[in-house]
Amino acid sequence: MSTAPYSLTGEGLAKKFGRSALFKGICLSAATGESLSITGPNGSGKSTLMKILAGIQKPTAGNVDLVSGSSIEKTQWLSHIGYTGPLVNPYDELTGLENIAFAARPADAGERAGRLLETFGLGPHRDKKVKHYSSGMKQRLKLILAFLNDPPVLMLDEPGMNLDSAGTALLHSYLESVRKEKIIIIATNDPLEEQLCGRTIKLG
Amino acid sequence: MGKDILRNLRKDFLVEFRSRFALNVSASFAAIVTIAISLTAGGVPFPANVQAIILWIIIFFSAMNGLSHIFVREEDQGTALFLRTAVDVDSVFVSKFIFNQAFMAVILAVVTPLYLFFLQVRVVHAAHFIFSIAAGGFSMAAATTILAAMVAKAGGKGSLFTIISFPILLPVLWISVSSTSAALNAAPPAGGSLLFLLAFSGFISVISFLLFRFIWLED
Amino acid sequence: MKAISAAVKSVYILMPAAIVMAFLWAPPAQVLGDSSRIMYFHVPIAWVSILAFIVSGIASILFLADRKGSFARLDGIAYNSAEIGLVFTVLTVITGSIWARISWGVFWNWDPRETSIVIILLIYIAYFSIQGAMAHNDNRGRIGSAYLILAMITLPFFAFLVPRIYPSLHPDPIINADRTIFLDDRMRSTLAVAIVSFTVFYCNILHIMNRMMKLQNHIEENRHEAD
Repeated sequence: MSTAPYSLTGEGLAKKFGRSALFKGICLSAATGESLSITGPNGSGKSTLMKILAGIQKPTAGNVDLVSGSSIEKTQWLSHIGYTGPLVNPYDELTGLENIAFAARPADAGERAGRLLETFGLGPHRDKKVKHYSSGMKQRLKLILAFLNDPPVLMLDEPGMNLDSAGTALLHSYLESVRKEKIIIIATNDPLEEQLCGRTIKLG
Repeated sequence: MGKDILRNLRKDFLVEFRSRFALNVSASFAAIVTIAISLTAGGVPFPANVQAIILWIIIFFSAMNGLSHIFVREEDQGTALFLRTAVDVDSVFVSKFIFNQAFMAVILAVVTPLYLFFLQVRVVHAAHFIFSIAAGGFSMAAATTILAAMVAKAGGKGSLFTIISFPILLPVLWISVSSTSAALNAAPPAGGSLLFLLAFSGFISVISFLLFRFIWLED
Repeated sequence: MKAISAAVKSVYILMPAAIVMAFLWAPPAQVLGDSSRIMYFHVPIAWVSILAFIVSGIASILFLADRKGSFARLDGIAYNSAEIGLVFTVLTVITGSIWARISWGVFWNWDPRETSIVIILLIYIAYFSIQGAMAHNDNRGRIGSAYLILAMITLPFFAFLVPRIYPSLHPDPIINADRTIFLDDRMRSTLAVAIVSFTVFYCNILHIMNRMMKLQNHIEENRHEAD
């Protein structure tokens, strides 16, 4: 992965589902070291916008561009982006550690996985099957999976979901520690997480 | 890409081995049908071509019970998006393709001996028989991997997988039945049918590989 | 668009002409007698079911290839053409089995062409099953198109296989005593007119269905803008 700074731009983004328009005319940009939060009432299209920014869904109109030195091909985006959200579920039948082994791309991910497991307090539960996890533990695992490959872009959809106050604090301090070297985009309705980010985009 | 394929295969084998759901259903189905046919036939052996037809019908429906599971499971358990973020599209297809081939091999290894045992089948050309079964099974799994993805994206409802697989698998079934029945008869085995199956599965695998991104990636 | 609308209206002249020619002008065939007149309907209908299938396939390929969406609603055109194709395939089977009953004494005997049409019928059934399962699904167009393409590429394998498995009874070997197709000039021109008018008939229905689809989409979009 190149070390050139990344920049993400979206222009005139719109999404329609069948006959109803979810949002239109969204413009945004963020470069390495910047952070962005996306807020809006339920059903305003936060998750959809996140998916469009991560290249998982296509916008009905407009386009998104991820640049690091040169433009990155869309099919490769997900190897530069750490994405997690309510619909990204780890495998229930596997243990936490096996899920991590599945998602780990670079060779040094194993070592970072150990550290992340300790940081997020999942160390003692690493060999338990995910189906026996509580919802908060599951959320912590999902965050670890997003951070695992040390991606230069982080896209977190409702990252504080189901977390207790200790978990929220861990998340915030982790994001604080990496914000200078990454692009961070968070979809949230939590004012604390909103404050964490430089700018806010309101939907709906 | 190679590493991605291995990671995904390791995960699929782990998940599938822990639950064994698809395999249990397919194997039980095969056993029940074989025993039912043997029981109702009352121990009278069938002519060779009928034996070949029944064998392939059992293989077809046993496989239909399990081959779609590899993609339907990802959608049912909500892990498709995680898989999408972790493994690139081509690797997903290749690893699922390999997994389905392994799955098919297990089904064949269960069905064929059961069948030979219960239905008093006399194999004349053993090597030709084994090749027919293996090549037919390979083509079946090759052609249905992408269909499994379609069914999963369509909501994986009931027997949809069987319905959409049948027209595409018909040439495979035809050739496999005639080749198997030749192996059970004293008829001289023809190498042409194996060549046909290889050509068919090669062709359809390449097209599936190219079409897969349109199914796996959402708009 | 206007030109197409006008051109396809020629079916109102062509189709009556074809019917009159088929029943009154063309002479009966030597061996098959008056029953051969069903040829002027069966052959064009079979041709349309294959044409509709090919059009569906091409529209599907274009739909998947055209990722920028510069041609509107190609998946819809593929679907409409397949719908017409399904109806014509069923009609082919019905007219064919009536003819088979009269000339061979049985409705059905898995002759290669009967087999081929049944395979196309099975593909259509599968295609509409998968489309039906995705009534309100954004993936519908892409998955349906991918399925049609996959089904189409299996057809050459059938073309290779079917004649080797079933021998043929179909009229081109047996319609006349010398075992070649012999149609006199009037039979030949009647068949040509019938094929042209059924082809235009197909284009006409497809055109109407595509316009209906366009209007439906237009209404749905504007209904949203009203509220």
